Parts: sequence; C-alpha cells; structure tokens
Amino acid sequence: MKSCRIGVYICMCGTNIAKIVDVEAVRDFVSGLPNVILTRTYKYMCSNPGQEMIVQDIKENNLDRIVVAACSPRMHERTFRNALKTAGLNQYLFEMANIREQCSWVHDDPEMATEKAKALTKAAIKRVALHESLENMSVDMDPRTLVIGGGIAGLTAALELADAGHQVVLVEKKEQLGGNIARVDLTAPYLNSARDLLTERITRVKTNKNIEIFLESKVTDIKGYLGNFTATVQFPNKKMKDGKDNAIRQVGNVIVCTGYKEFDASRITHYGYGKLPNVITSFEFEKMIRNGRIETKEGRVPQFAAIIHCVGSRSKEFHAYCSRVCCMTALKYTHEIKSANPQCYVSDLYIDMHAFGKGHEDFYTHTSEVKTLFLMYEKNDRPVIRRAGPKDDCEMLIEVNEKLSGELIEIPADLVILMVGMEAREDSPEIARLVNISQDKDGWFMESHPKLDPVATTTDGIYIAGTCAAPKDIPDTVAQARAASARILAKISKGKIDVDAVYSEVNENLCCGCRICNNLCPYSAIEYDPIKFQSHVISALCKACGVCVASCPSAAIKGRHFMDNQLIAEVEGVL
Amino acid sequence: MAIRVNPKLIEDLSRFGAEDVHMCYHCGDCSAVCIHSDEMFRFPRKSTRLLQMGLERKLETSLEPWLCYYCGQCSEQCPREAAPGETMMSIRRWLIARYDLTGIAGLFFRSKVAEILAIIIVALLTGIFFLYYGFTFGNIKIYDGPNAFLESSFIHKFDLILGSVLGIFLLINALRMWYLIMVKGNIIPTPWWLYIKQIYLLPWHFFSQKRYAKCESTNSNNVHMPWLVHLGLMIGYVLMLILVMVFLPALQQGPEIQWSVHIFGYLASIGLIGGSVYFIYSRRKKQQIQYQKSHSTDWVFIILLGIIIITGVTQHILHRSGLFEAANIVYVVHLMSVVPWLFRMPFSKWAHLIYRPLAMYFAAIWAEAFELQNYPQNVIPITQT
Repeated sequence: MKSCRIGVYICMCGTNIAKIVDVEAVRDFVSGLPNVILTRTYKYMCSNPGQEMIVQDIKENNLDRIVVAACSPRMHERTFRNALKTAGLNQYLFEMANIREQCSWVHDDPEMATEKAKALTKAAIKRVALHESLENMSVDMDPRTLVIGGGIAGLTAALELADAGHQVVLVEKKEQLGGNIARVDLTAPYLNSARDLLTERITRVKTNKNIEIFLESKVTDIKGYLGNFTATVQFPNKKMKDGKDNAIRQVGNVIVCTGYKEFDASRITHYGYGKLPNVITSFEFEKMIRNGRIETKEGRVPQFAAIIHCVGSRSKEFHAYCSRVCCMTALKYTHEIKSANPQCYVSDLYIDMHAFGKGHEDFYTHTSEVKTLFLMYEKNDRPVIRRAGPKDDCEMLIEVNEKLSGELIEIPADLVILMVGMEAREDSPEIARLVNISQDKDGWFMESHPKLDPVATTTDGIYIAGTCAAPKDIPDTVAQARAASARILAKISKGKIDVDAVYSEVNENLCCGCRICNNLCPYSAIEYDPIKFQSHVISALCKACGVCVASCPSAAIKGRHFMDNQLIAEVEGVL
Repeated sequence: MAIRVNPKLIEDLSRFGAEDVHMCYHCGDCSAVCIHSDEMFRFPRKSTRLLQMGLERKLETSLEPWLCYYCGQCSEQCPREAAPGETMMSIRRWLIARYDLTGIAGLFFRSKVAEILAIIIVALLTGIFFLYYGFTFGNIKIYDGPNAFLESSFIHKFDLILGSVLGIFLLINALRMWYLIMVKGNIIPTPWWLYIKQIYLLPWHFFSQKRYAKCESTNSNNVHMPWLVHLGLMIGYVLMLILVMVFLPALQQGPEIQWSVHIFGYLASIGLIGGSVYFIYSRRKKQQIQYQKSHSTDWVFIILLGIIIITGVTQHILHRSGLFEAANIVYVVHLMSVVPWLFRMPFSKWAHLIYRPLAMYFAAIWAEAFELQNYPQNVIPITQT
C-alpha cells in the first residue's frame, strides 16, 4: 500500500452523533490505523472553525488525504472539498464516512452504533489512501438555443434569449405559431384577450433577426451534449433553396415547450359527446365565442346552459391529476354566456372549485354574483346527460346526484360544455427519447427536482417549460419559459462549462466494440465509432452511474474515482 | 327518480326579498352558528340550497324556515355576504303565499302597487260604508249610546263578522300548512295521539315565544332584547284584538270612563306604541342585521299600524274631551285603516302569529315520531317522490 499522510476528523454534530456514537472511542480506534497521522473530534466540523481546522492541519502536518466522519456526503461533501481546495490539496483526495444518517440517527444501541461508525470510518480511510488527484474538465458553450414548440412558452423563451442577443432556432409542428392559446378567446380571470397576448409575441418573434423560425417542421435528431448539440430539423412539406428538406443546426441548449393536447370527451359515455349534437367541448365553445354567437346546433339561443368540470381529470379511470385551468375557464364561460344573454340559466357542475391563483377567488365570487347555479357532484358519480322529451322546454336533461343537498336532481340544458382536461401529447414519448428525458406515469416530462429545479431535466442542457411538464395556466407557463431562458443565459454568460471529473472512461485498447454499454447507458453518453469499432464515453454527458463499468465483458471501462481497487479497499475496511 | 329543478324559483323568491341567495357557497358556517339548528332541523344552509337549486316541492313542505327567528347571527358572519337570515325571512314570506289558496298573499308580496291599491280600495269602501251608515242611522254629534253616529253594538257585530271571515281564512291557511308539512312532506308514519300529546305546545309557544328568547343569549347586540320587544308588541296586539272583538260594547258604554275596562286598553296601546316605534326606528337606523333589508310589505304593515294607533288615540282623546263630532270623523278614519289592516292579516307576514306555534307543534310531533321509529335523528330517510 502506498504511503500517505491521512487526517481523520470525527464530527459530533452537536449531540446528533455524539449522543449515540462514542466519538472518542472511534478516534482511539482509527488513530492506530496505518497512514493515519492525525485524528480529531469536533463539535461541528462543517462550521467555519471546523473547516479552518482542516486547512490549518493540512498545512502544518503536511497531510495529503482527509477523511471526515460526519453526515451524508450529499449534505457537506462540497463544503469539505472546498476546504481541501483552500489548503491547496486536490479536492478528490477526500472521503466522507456517514456516521449520522447511517449510525446515530438509525440506531439506538450506542455500543453497536459505535462499532459501525468505527467500521465506516475505517473503510473511508482505506479507500482514501487509494484516491487519485482528478481535474475537472471544461467544454465550450454554444450560445445558440433550440426551442421546440411555438406556443406561448416557446415564443416567450425565444424572445427572452433573442432579446439578450443570442441566436434561437424555433421549431413549430403546425403551420402557424401560437399553440393552444391561439384557440382561446378570452383569458381568466381578468378577461384579457388571448389573441392580444399572442399577436404581440408572434409579431416580435417574426421580426426578430436572432430568431430562425421553422414552421411545419419537426426536430428528428439531437446529438451531442450540453453546450454542443447538433439538431436536425425536418420539414417534409417544404424544400430549402438547395433542395434539401432538412436543416442541421448547432446549439448549446434545448428548451422543450411542446404543450398539451385536450382530453377526448367521447371517452366518457355518460356525457354522450359525439351523439348529442349540443354537447360540446370547451375548445368548441371557444370557437363559438370567437365566431361571435353562442347558439345551439339548430341555431337557437340557449335558454339553459350547463358546464361540466373535470372531464377526464381527477378520476381514476382517466387522469387522476387536476388540469388546473378548467375551473377558471368554466367561470369565464359563465360570464361570457351571461353577458350575451343575462336571462340564460347557467348551471356549473363541479367536483371541487379550485380557485388557487391570483384574482381567482374574486372571479369565483363575481361569478356567483351573476347568478350561476353551482352544483357539486361526487367524483365517482358522474352526471348523466339524456335527450329531453317532447313535453320539456329544453333540449337535454342532466341527472346529477347533488352532493351539497344529497338530492338526486334533474336540470334542464340546451347546451352542455364539457371542460376537457389536459393530457400529454401522443408524440411526447418520441420527444422524450429525442432529448433523452423521462416522463412520469401520466406522460408529462419530468423535471430535475419538482420544487428546487422545476425547469431543468436530468439531462444537462435540456430544459422543459409550460404544459409539457404538467398542466398549468398561462402565467405559470410564461414564468417557466422565462426561468428556462434565464438558466440558459447564465450558462452562456459563463462561456465554459465545468464537467465533473468523475466519469467513465473506455480503454480503447481493450474495447472490442460489442456495444452492450451503448444501449444500457441511461444518459446516452456513449458514442460508437463505426470506423474504429469502438465505444467512447462523452464525459460531459456521463453522470458516473457505473452501469457501463459493470456491464463491460472485457473490463474495458473504468469509472474514475470509483476504481476497482478503491472499492475493494473500502469493502475490506468495512469488514 | 330525480327531482326536476324549477329554474324560475330563485327569480321568484327575489321578489320576496331573497336577493343574495346565489352568493352562498355552502361552507355551512350559518348552520353552525345558529342556536336553533339541530340534528333534525338544520338550517339556514339546507333551505338556502333547496332554494338555489329550485326544489320547490321540498321547500314548500319544509319546516325549517319557521324555526328561525332571524337573530341575524348567520348573516353577520357569512363569508360571502349571502344574507342567510334574509333568505330564511324571504322563504317565510313565500311560504305564507304558498299556504294561502286565494293567491292574494302572493300578489301582495310580489307587487307593492297591488297591495297599496287593494288597501286604498278597501279603505274607501269602508269609509263610504260607515259614513253612509252613520248619516242614515246615527247622529254625527253623538258618540255614545243608542243614537251614536257609529253605534257600538253595530260596530261590534261588524267586528265579529270580519273576525270570523279572517278566522276562516286563517284556519284554511293553517290546514294547508298542515297538509303541506305533515302530509305532503311527511316521511314517516305519525300516530294521531301525538297530535293530542303535544297540543299544549300551541298555547305555550303562542304566548311565551320562548324559543325566540334563546336567540338573545347569542346575540352580540342583546341590549335591544328583540324577544321582549316582540313579546310586548304581540301581547299589546292580542290584548287589543280581544278588547275590540269581545269588550267593545263595554268600552263604549257611555261618556263616563270605566277604568276597569280602559286600563287594559291603555296597556295594550303602550305595548303597540312601544313596539311600533322600536320597529320604525330599527328599520330606519339599519344597525341590526335583521332590520337592514325591509320588504315593501313590512313598511305597509308599520305605516298602517302607525295610522291606526294615532287615529285610535286621537279619537279617544277627542271623545274624552267632549269633541264628539271630531271624534266620530277620526273614528271613521280609524276604521278605514283598521279594516284593510285586518283584511290584510291572513295574507301577510302577520299570519306568522299562527304559523310559528304550529311549526313548533309539528316539529315536536315529528321529533317524537322519529323516536318511535327508532331512526337516528340525523338520518332523514329519502322521500319517495
């Protein structure tokens, strides 16, 4: 074994560790181990004096390896690595032993816990002796960005980046920009015109020299890694000047804003959508308003209108989630119907009224003021719509088990509007594969962290914004688009990207080109070179999960910082 | 079978004063704060819901509106300003119209013009009739005795006839109320002997209004003592009615005053004056929530009552001062206001004098019938429609 000078620090974490683990016993145990020059216990290693103590000891005692037995490395590994850097030591010559989460917090027998702490600390000491100095890499950042989807999110993100002076490639599948909002008349709760919101964005996007727009186009391939992606855009209906039907663009980052699709109302048989002519979806109603006349299929002004919430949302059979925008949109319809015909009897059948946003509760109150009949139905007891008889003064009758009164009632309706929920697009698996991101059980794209990192994904350089990540309203969508742009702008302004020194490497002399690792890599970080018949790890994409290392039949792949001898030494230490 | 809603009901009720019903979003705070809301009869939320949805049949057979005395607590803390107290009041007005088969009550509640016109016509007819009678059979200069302008025995007969007609109307309305609540709206078998067992509740609630007193304990503004004031007005009222109906000949025996009889008249007058001054003041001031919204019929009631009191007292003073001619004229004016006022009785809010004790009586019968059936009180079986 290589000779080195190891400093070991055992943290008490106040009493968090010390009340169960006998830290002095751990110290006595490890101070006798080979290569250990110095051992200390301290109340809070992560505190400034604790860190300074490490820096001081490294300088005074010429230490070249450090072990801290404290909390989880997820908590403070970065803190102590920085301390090593300050002392002029390579940050990878460090190891943490977790004697809090894995000892004192989970065990109540002090003796056994102390034994376990000893073993863990010994393992860390054995491992750190074999650590090597590693240097972080840095790669260039291409300032251009690819935005997939030309809805409100895509338009906003593109403008944000282009206004900062960077090139944007905007790809839209349809023949026009605008997305789903282009199908909407007014927006809740302030009744602003959706068209006004959009026209301003679209005009600015179209006139911005930094934005290259591809309409009726699809991104069919994305290669590369953070800062250096190569995207292929295909446009089957058009040809470029040189006769090609595709374009290749170099970009540094990608924002996915592919939006949602509405739920297919005919899936719920209770409502007779498709069979009863005057049962329409919210988007059909939007179209009706945009045409300027609320009427039945027969051209009559409805005397009774009914709005049914949660069509496809909040049910186990279809989608368990809430689509978030339908409640306020339904209230908006009430206003629109009432302002066109104040005599119209509007009933609003809901499960729960979700009025969570700014101005929403006021909007709800105001809708009550215009005399809307709110009826609550049970989630699993849907209303049933049927055609009215010849004696009735209405087109249809809705039977509903009204929850607030407990009565089974029948309400008249000439026009029924189904508030269809949001659904992940059918092509979202394709997109997810294209940019190498995950989808949740409902098909929405997954964020890196649902609370702390909502627009980033698990693939560096790929961001998500708007309703492709989950149902949300316009303000939230715009906020996400801007957040994603801000994240990218921050990266662009740095110019270079630091890549963690911990990644896998293929020993080209040993690789036989079997390509097993190619398909196993969850981050698509392994490239295959068809000329050399060899695989190659793109270090910027590698997250050091180790799957390729384990799978390689010729042991040609090494995980840096997770070398075989390091791991074996650690296991020996524990035993 | 599903019950068909009546989409027009809420619109109709707005003419009875229920203007903010649609604001309710059913938090249930009103029912929680109400001291009278219990396991068996929950209100105002339930009544509000029936009204919002237009379940006319359920509403017309419900007892709950009569169990509310409008202390105003519910409206005070309603988070959505849906005025549940006022809604209950409006439903009571609507129920009065429902119990009345003639349709007059509904007409008066819905149209103040119709009501005022009817009052003027009845007042004029009364005036013409008494003037004609007086000038034909009496002497304008004589107030007492057989040759009086309006002879007391004649007026007495007239009173009794009018009283009987009104009584018949009230009785029919009360029967209709019984039919709606205990027959049409009934959900469990009610043995006949329960009606006899609980009969004592009718005079008890009529004279004590004890349930109203319970509201005072929770009222933040209890210095106004609405129960006492209401009781004073009611006793003055009933006393005056009995005096006029039964003891009129004794009251008008002659020029020499009979204190033994008149003392009651004075007491009743004080009760009436006190009560009406309080109501006019409260409805004008609008400090208490139950007086903030006044229906046109409320004002007609108070104004007519005011005229009756003023003319009644003036006539008495003139009579006692020996100004018989003036006293006779004021007497005719007094009768011109009394007759329409009495005529209005079975068709107005006034009828609650009968309906409230009946409601308590029915409620007690129901509660006991439920117990006999061993139903838990909070589980009301589904009505067969």
